Amino acid sequence: MIVGLSSKLQKTYRDSQSKSMYRFLIYLAGLPLHLFLYVIYVLKKKDNTYEVTLAKVKRELMDEGRKEAYQAEYVDQLRRKAAFFNEQSIPERIHRQAEELSAERYERESVRITSERLAQQGLQRESYTGYVYSLLGKPTFLMISLLPGLLMYALLFLLSNPFLKYGAERLVQSVFVILGVGILVFSILYISPFDPASNILGESATKEQIAAFNRIHGLDLPYWQQLWNALKGIATFDLGTSFTGSEDVASSIANKFPVTITIAIFSVLMAIVIAIPVGILSAMRPNTLLDMTFMLIALIGLSIPNFWQGLIFILGFSIKLNWLPATYSPGNALSLIMPVVVLGTGLTASIARMMRSSLLEIIHEDYMVTAKAKGLTKGQMLWKHAVGNALIPVITVIGLLFGGMLGGAAVTEKVFNIKGIGSYIVDKQFIPDIPAIMGGVVYIAITISLVNLFIDIMYAFLDPRIRSKMKQS
Amino acid sequence: MKEKRINRQLLTMSKEYPQANFTWILTLLISLVFLLNSFSFRAGEIKPYVLALFGAYFITALLQLFIAWRIKRDILLYGDIQRGTRRLGYIQLFSLVTGNVFTAAFSLHLINERKTPEYTFAVYMALTQLFVIAISAFNVFKPYVTDSFPMAMLVLLLVLVFQVAVLIIVATTMREGQLPKWLGLIAIFTALTALTGNLFALLLGISLWMKVRSTESSRIAKWDATWGKITRNTMAVFGMFFIILMLAISVVSRYTFDYDLAVENDYANILQAPSLVYPFGTDNFGRDVFSRIIFGARISLLVGFASTVIPAVIGGCLGGIAGYYSNRTDNWIMRLLDVLYAIPGILLAIAIIAAFGANTVNLIIALSLGSIPTYARTMRANVLMVSNYDFVDSARALGASDFSIIFKQIIPNSLAPMIVKATLTIGGAVIATSSLSYLGLGVEPHIPEWGNILRVGSTYLESNSYLAIFPGLAIILLVLSFNFLGDGLRDALDPRLD
Repeated sequence: MIVGLSSKLQKTYRDSQSKSMYRFLIYLAGLPLHLFLYVIYVLKKKDNTYEVTLAKVKRELMDEGRKEAYQAEYVDQLRRKAAFFNEQSIPERIHRQAEELSAERYERESVRITSERLAQQGLQRESYTGYVYSLLGKPTFLMISLLPGLLMYALLFLLSNPFLKYGAERLVQSVFVILGVGILVFSILYISPFDPASNILGESATKEQIAAFNRIHGLDLPYWQQLWNALKGIATFDLGTSFTGSEDVASSIANKFPVTITIAIFSVLMAIVIAIPVGILSAMRPNTLLDMTFMLIALIGLSIPNFWQGLIFILGFSIKLNWLPATYSPGNALSLIMPVVVLGTGLTASIARMMRSSLLEIIHEDYMVTAKAKGLTKGQMLWKHAVGNALIPVITVIGLLFGGMLGGAAVTEKVFNIKGIGSYIVDKQFIPDIPAIMGGVVYIAITISLVNLFIDIMYAFLDPRIRSKMKQS
Repeated sequence: MKEKRINRQLLTMSKEYPQANFTWILTLLISLVFLLNSFSFRAGEIKPYVLALFGAYFITALLQLFIAWRIKRDILLYGDIQRGTRRLGYIQLFSLVTGNVFTAAFSLHLINERKTPEYTFAVYMALTQLFVIAISAFNVFKPYVTDSFPMAMLVLLLVLVFQVAVLIIVATTMREGQLPKWLGLIAIFTALTALTGNLFALLLGISLWMKVRSTESSRIAKWDATWGKITRNTMAVFGMFFIILMLAISVVSRYTFDYDLAVENDYANILQAPSLVYPFGTDNFGRDVFSRIIFGARISLLVGFASTVIPAVIGGCLGGIAGYYSNRTDNWIMRLLDVLYAIPGILLAIAIIAAFGANTVNLIIALSLGSIPTYARTMRANVLMVSNYDFVDSARALGASDFSIIFKQIIPNSLAPMIVKATLTIGGAVIATSSLSYLGLGVEPHIPEWGNILRVGSTYLESNSYLAIFPGLAIILLVLSFNFLGDGLRDALDPRLD
């Protein structure tokens, strides 16, 4: 078992040498081990066959007059090229270019011939990489170096499995994106021409008062210091106190997040439950009255602004019919209906359209013809071959639109007077309350990134095409 | 069974029959909306004007149903539509008086047997002009009009007369191959009338000019094929009609509408219900909502276009570079854009507006920034596809520079998906503009903008609901038009559908 592991590590080590990023990470992860090994390598290295052979080959080639032959060949080629394109040929430029090219080729040739000769004698160029490679093949070395090289072995193991590698890469990418979001949002708020101190304290504030306010909230620090504090605050869920009312920003965001997420999740569920059957029905009978009606309704659903739909719902269902409460109150499930429907309308419309076009595309694929030729019934064809494949792009779109929906929640929350994260950000932006806006926006971006990360990793397991592509790379 | 299927295919193949059906269904639906609104449940009384409108629309719908039936019978019996049926179009043309653009457009199509894109352009050019005049004419009920109003109306009427003449000329002379040279002059004059914002005139002018002057038959054929596909899609053409109508109104309103009525407070006329003087009522400061909506179209179109063109250009360049150059450049650009993509557009806009204040310029910048990544992704995917084609390789073999390959070969061949994408996202930009204005984060509150009008309307929802309904309808119609046009463009430009 340990032999199998060691050969696996060996192979991963060799493969990852071609990517500079991985090479760097591997040496970084096993830094103490590599330092130690490198010293041994240098001390042990006596063999200089490679250098000797290389020098010999170079001399031979020079004596043969190879370099001059290359030179003449290139000069001829360049002249003919210039003549073909009707360009003015300057002899010295051509000469210079030919010299560069021939020198390059001379080097390349000598290296090639040297390694050929060594290979004939059953030798190869000794390098540190080759040294480590050979060590990794020995199980005893693995046992001894397990403790100092643990990090490196863990990394190599991660890289050896395509699923783990994909997941890890995707995770690292998300972390960088989130970091980027934090830096971007903070920088936008930092270069703002507004001064929160004078906005909050009023026109009559003295210089001392403003300076004190800035000191309390760390606004007098240099840019990098403030940025570091803000990013650290995001990571440790400690964003300090808001500028007004001195409430704890992190805990008020934590209080407001659940409502927004609940409404968003219900909206997504509603959208999936309504839109996917509608999309399938439409695609089964394209260009009929049913299809056209559904698609017209979907397009209207895409074109209605959330807030207007909310107002019309309030006008119709709350004021005129008196069926549903106009504003949200926690604990009253009925008051959730209108916000969920309003927030989910656009998503429902998009998914239905997407599902229809995706299914229509699949129905015309070759494998559907094969399925028909096999004698499958229409239902079998649809459920076994078409719908599953058509859902793949649709789920990606759901993941991407989820982000837009969380953004749109700000408007819906304002219409129905919901104290969620969206309306919190809108309320705070007039000051501007930097920690509150920053926290709200970045945490929403993190949620969206996590949802999309989850969907992408799910695909790695579910979609055979992605699976095979990962194994190939 | 088989005969039935063939019949159905015959009917859907004819351009007129599905359009006739669509038109009568839509007209009937509109008439039902009028019927529902003609009776006030609370007061228990009938509104005579609305009821009359219902009657007019209902009769139009019945006539349209009759025409649809005649077309069906003609196609099944004779194979094509008979002259007598086409003549019915002249009668149906009278429905234009009630403002029913759907039946009017249909009847104009029915009258002319040969449908060139030029005829469609000419029909919609004249219709747009007529509607602009009709909407502007509502000002005569106001206590006073702007000084330039009579002059502007006269000019508009003269343009209309000219355009109707062009329509008749186009309908009678458009035969292939034998266009008289003097048509080139008319093409120039027609294109000039596009100064009123009527872009159909510009399209017609370009089209006529090309056919009279140009000898490149492949270019003409391509133009005809593309526009033929777009104009065959009824909803796309109606979308285009409404967008161009809004554009023309925003240009013309400078001379025919009084800006003071839209912004000056008039406390004598607060919260008036809709009437002939104030077609959409007045708001809590006595400002005319009709004028405000007309002037709001300007802002919506401006912000919508600007916040689509700017990111399309920037994103297009970035995506083009990323797609054309090496892996490393590609990776850097796309990873940086991923950061922008991770923040929902509205939230990024709120953050930017929080930092720099709420006004139109900041709004455009904020909305533009958020949509750069989507355009970059679209462009990158196109460029990756196009740069593998043989003509790019041959350009490279001929020694063309990177710069000239990108701008002469790749960009022109990957523009179509960008145009479609842009058309489909203008609607989103219009919604985002009004949403932010509704939150008080968009256009300054005193400027007439649809979101601002709705913001006022939302506080009077219970007592004066029309304040919230009309601007909302305007937003939906504009966004819907862009979506219909975008769908039509996608169908017309998608090479896979050929």
